[in-house]
Amino acid sequence: MAVRGGIFKMHWHWLIVIYLFLGGLGAGAYLTSFAAEKGWLGKDSSLSRAGYFIAAPVVAFGTVLLVFDLGQGLHKPWLLIRLLSNFSSVMTWGVYILSAFIMVGLLKGYFAFIKKSAPKLLSWAGAILALATGAYTGLLLSVVEAVPFWNSGLMPVLFVTSALSTGLSVTSLLAPWLEKGNFKEGREGEAHIYLIGAELIIVAIFFGMMNSGVYGAVGQESAELLISGVYALIFWGYFIGLGLLFPLVVFMIPYLRSKQAVKQLAKGPSVAEREVAATVQKEHHNSYLTIATDISVIIGGFALRAIIILAALPIWDGITIP
Amino acid sequence: MTKKKRKETSVIVESSKSTLISRRKVIKIGAMASAALALGIFPGRVVKAAAAPNAPKNPKQMGFIYDQGKCVACRVCQAACKDANNWEEGTEWRRVYIGEKTGDFLSISCNHCDNPACATVCPVRAYTKRDKDGIVIQDREKCVGCKYCMYACPYHAPQFSDDTGRISKCHFCFERQDNGEKPACAERCPTGALSYGELSKLQQTQGVVTRIDGLPSAELTRPSWVIIPKA
Repeated sequence: MAVRGGIFKMHWHWLIVIYLFLGGLGAGAYLTSFAAEKGWLGKDSSLSRAGYFIAAPVVAFGTVLLVFDLGQGLHKPWLLIRLLSNFSSVMTWGVYILSAFIMVGLLKGYFAFIKKSAPKLLSWAGAILALATGAYTGLLLSVVEAVPFWNSGLMPVLFVTSALSTGLSVTSLLAPWLEKGNFKEGREGEAHIYLIGAELIIVAIFFGMMNSGVYGAVGQESAELLISGVYALIFWGYFIGLGLLFPLVVFMIPYLRSKQAVKQLAKGPSVAEREVAATVQKEHHNSYLTIATDISVIIGGFALRAIIILAALPIWDGITIP
Repeated sequence: MTKKKRKETSVIVESSKSTLISRRKVIKIGAMASAALALGIFPGRVVKAAAAPNAPKNPKQMGFIYDQGKCVACRVCQAACKDANNWEEGTEWRRVYIGEKTGDFLSISCNHCDNPACATVCPVRAYTKRDKDGIVIQDREKCVGCKYCMYACPYHAPQFSDDTGRISKCHFCFERQDNGEKPACAERCPTGALSYGELSKLQQTQGVVTRIDGLPSAELTRPSWVIIPKA
């Protein structure tokens, strides 16, 4: 009913898609460098700075875009101060979270730039705010009961997972260029596999529930728009294909190969085999394939935000009655 | 509850022996107890609300009553509203629909809901619900044009004007009502299909419903209107 003739009222457009995407990307970049700094990505990871450099600027850029999208953003900007005033509005929460994250992120970025260790409290505050930023972008949508497709508790979880995945990719893309000669690869490949795997499971549950009508007929209709409707190409091609399946395969291959190499080492180590095992991971980051894969993950993350906004059918279309 | 209390007292006894760990325990148990308390209260409230779906929270809540059988879709209510309220370019505070299969009519504006989703999501608090009569008034001078309310409202009452870059919507002609006049739409309706009054009284009218086919569930925002469906 709602999409009859391809017309339904879409209130948010591409600027919001970009804003939601950049919010996640910046948050994920911060958390990637945070994880690398903590040693969670392996002892040799060189991702401990690049994410910090871009996190706050990326989120700030997204926020500026949002201001442009507001009807009064350029017209009466002084009205924006009131954005801090409604504590029952998730959007107000977001303004606080994003402002705090941008400030803490900039500070942390500065410490990373002068290569001094930041106070522990600052790093952790940034990490918590980054997580909050990622979750906020999903929560903003999930509290809207009049849009069944958004009204799922899985939305923030999905957005955080995608934020981590895209943040890891953007940091992996920038780090070799930033750290030049002394770039070392840690366990990024493995982290990628876990994140993409988790995202696939969340997406399967989310669409399984939507498609089976748990969120009503309109939620089902939204899911159909993506699975078999007008947005099927973005959904299957860009989000599932480029964003999830292709990277999963690319990251799985070297992972499995190194596992195999380790197994062979255990059987009877020879010098040659040990070298093979050692180089498997190294050739990984240099290849154009890895660069293409990281870009592919980022495109997928963008596609996710796009399809979520595009398929937001209202519970009643406001155009027709039966 | 009694079990937890007993536990707490035992913790206090413990705390005299070894200070640090038991203090932590007290905090932990206190947090758990308060969480249980919060959870205990919350479902109770929900059940209460579900038991009486129609009674408005505010006994003085004003609402619309619309008689589908009397409506002839002349759209005078729309025109009256437009005249009285100078709609901003591109906005329609009141709309009249004609059913695609049934051919029945529906005149709808803002339902001044008991749980106005617009007011909940609006980040700048442009929406207020008056204590006096439950009318939901949007102050367009405060609106920043984020359009969050357009997604939140299941009835599409908030309307955006590209011309002015802000939202506006039906305010039940609150200024006219304050002066003892009727809302423009109800005053001018030639057939008496659209009227208004105290919701609790309107709800006692024979055969009224809060929702017709195709419209969102009234449980979502608890709209302050009743419809007499066409027989």
